[in-house]
Amino acid sequence: MDYAIDVRDMTVAYREKPVLWDIDLQVPTGVLLAIVGPNGAGKTTLIKSILGLVKSAAGSVLIHGRPYSEQRSNVAYVPQRGSVDWDFPTNVLDVVTMGLYGKLGWFKRPGKTERVEALRALAQVGMEEFADRQISQLSGGQQQRVFLARALVQDARVYFMDEPFQGVDATTERAIVDLLQSLRERGRTVVVVHHDLQTVPEYFDRVMLLNVRKIASGPVRDVFNEENLRATYGGRVAFVSALASKDDS
Amino acid sequence: MEWFTDIYLDYTLRTVALGSALLGITAGSLGGFALLRRQSLLGDAISHAALPGIAIAFLLTGSKAPLVLILGAALAGWLGAALIASVTLRTRIKYDSALGIMLSVFFGFGLVLLTYIQKMPDANQAGLDSYLFGQAAALVQRDVMVILGIGSAIMVMMVLFWKEFKLISFDADFGATLGFPIHGLDRFLTGLFVIAIVIGLQTVGVVLMSAMIIAPAAAARQWTDRLGRMIVLAAIFGAVSGVGGAITSGRVANLPTGPTIVLIVSAIVVISLLFAPNRGLVFRRVREWKAGKNLRVDAVLVDLYTLASQHSSKDYPHSQRVLDVMSTISGPAKRTLHLLETLGLARQIDAQNWSLTGKGVERAQSVIDSQYGGKLSQ
Repeated sequence: MDYAIDVRDMTVAYREKPVLWDIDLQVPTGVLLAIVGPNGAGKTTLIKSILGLVKSAAGSVLIHGRPYSEQRSNVAYVPQRGSVDWDFPTNVLDVVTMGLYGKLGWFKRPGKTERVEALRALAQVGMEEFADRQISQLSGGQQQRVFLARALVQDARVYFMDEPFQGVDATTERAIVDLLQSLRERGRTVVVVHHDLQTVPEYFDRVMLLNVRKIASGPVRDVFNEENLRATYGGRVAFVSALASKDDS
Repeated sequence: MEWFTDIYLDYTLRTVALGSALLGITAGSLGGFALLRRQSLLGDAISHAALPGIAIAFLLTGSKAPLVLILGAALAGWLGAALIASVTLRTRIKYDSALGIMLSVFFGFGLVLLTYIQKMPDANQAGLDSYLFGQAAALVQRDVMVILGIGSAIMVMMVLFWKEFKLISFDADFGATLGFPIHGLDRFLTGLFVIAIVIGLQTVGVVLMSAMIIAPAAAARQWTDRLGRMIVLAAIFGAVSGVGGAITSGRVANLPTGPTIVLIVSAIVVISLLFAPNRGLVFRRVREWKAGKNLRVDAVLVDLYTLASQHSSKDYPHSQRVLDVMSTISGPAKRTLHLLETLGLARQIDAQNWSLTGKGVERAQSVIDSQYGGKLSQ
């Protein structure tokens, strides 16, 4: 079977301490996958190692059957909102246009075409009237939507999003959910690092439970159960079992 | 206009002013990127690290030609920057500590070498120590040509790689996923940075050079929220300080050029921090004061409204003392009540009692609608 994402034996260590241990992950095309796990489970590291941003001790990544290095233009990345300085002197449109820098290549400056594409991506996240706004004046949810627009403008086949729902308002949460669904309808594959277990069954088709090792991955209804959650979250599962039993009924 | 004839007629002054201006433009514009990448102190480390390079270049060649010494300075500065990056990456020492260590180790080594050179029985060595604090007055036309050539090359690179430098300054990880060689670009930008610093050492000296990098950029950042404008403004501030420093020290006896340039650029920073619109301290204070006043007015207004709504009419009067007790954020209510009166929102019934006017009731209702979701908590 041709997977959208095929990760084998991904292992990452920081100073001899394993952060990710021998992760295999196969994601079929056109699904929404949530990666869940406790703090320090390696969720962000997994995404970053797939994208080559973190050095891995071992592991290979195929995107639609070819090595990631050949598929960069088909892969879009939405980093955590807090990873950049939002006081940087630039505006919303400019940040979104950065998504097109890869296609532009060296030395070429973005022009009218790029502007139109960036505005279209902003419209998809309901931010078109913010195009000329300074990024320092955005709320957390608006910052997140700008980051999503920057990934959308890449028109990739595979999306990796790191905690897009972290600390956003209800409007933004709704906008992101709609966006995820429209991406799925267009046959795109989306991997989302997620922290809110409550919404996993509602928002996602598939889930990967991660805690340094892969505990389970598959369709939400098959693997998102009390046993796996307990294995992932260890002792801190009072809330988990309540959630799982509610979900079973 | 006397300074103008000076600069027009006096060869030395013209040379010094031109050299300092070019230097200010180069250092100021590159400094913009350093500031945004939170590498302001890297300039300080590089310039200090350059000192042993100057000494070694002299020891090896016996030459004091600026190009030879600049080359030595550049190699040492580059080595310092590379070591800082490597130490941060490979050990548990944090970036700021690595900066401090390299800065003092290289500078200390440079001072040792400089002392050794000065003790040498060779008349040729005189003047190397001018690299410590710079000696702009010694600039000759050939030096200015070197600064012009190197500075222009740096400018061309900045224009060519504008988009890439912006990308690695804002979000390097994202840039890497787009396929840009982030580490290569980082090294390239640091390399330009090293070159910009070492061409300034002769004029400003290793100790003060970092001010030429940081100060114009820090000042420029206060005035604009656009990267392009910020870099251009930083270049202008750099140029103005360079020319200003040259002219001032040319007209006042015993005033060294390098430190004067730094003093002028520092003055520009202070003025910018205080008076720039939006980000300036004065502007912010005024805005906060206005916001605070509005907040107090609204709070007392809502308090009056709350009290009155427990009675039959919305303009039922209440004592100022009750309002004093109610207002938790606004302090004593008396001043705010008089402010309400001037705004026509409340009126004083007698010595103690106040009530809302019709306009006051309206405003209170709209405040409650917008800020309390239409509901009052008691």
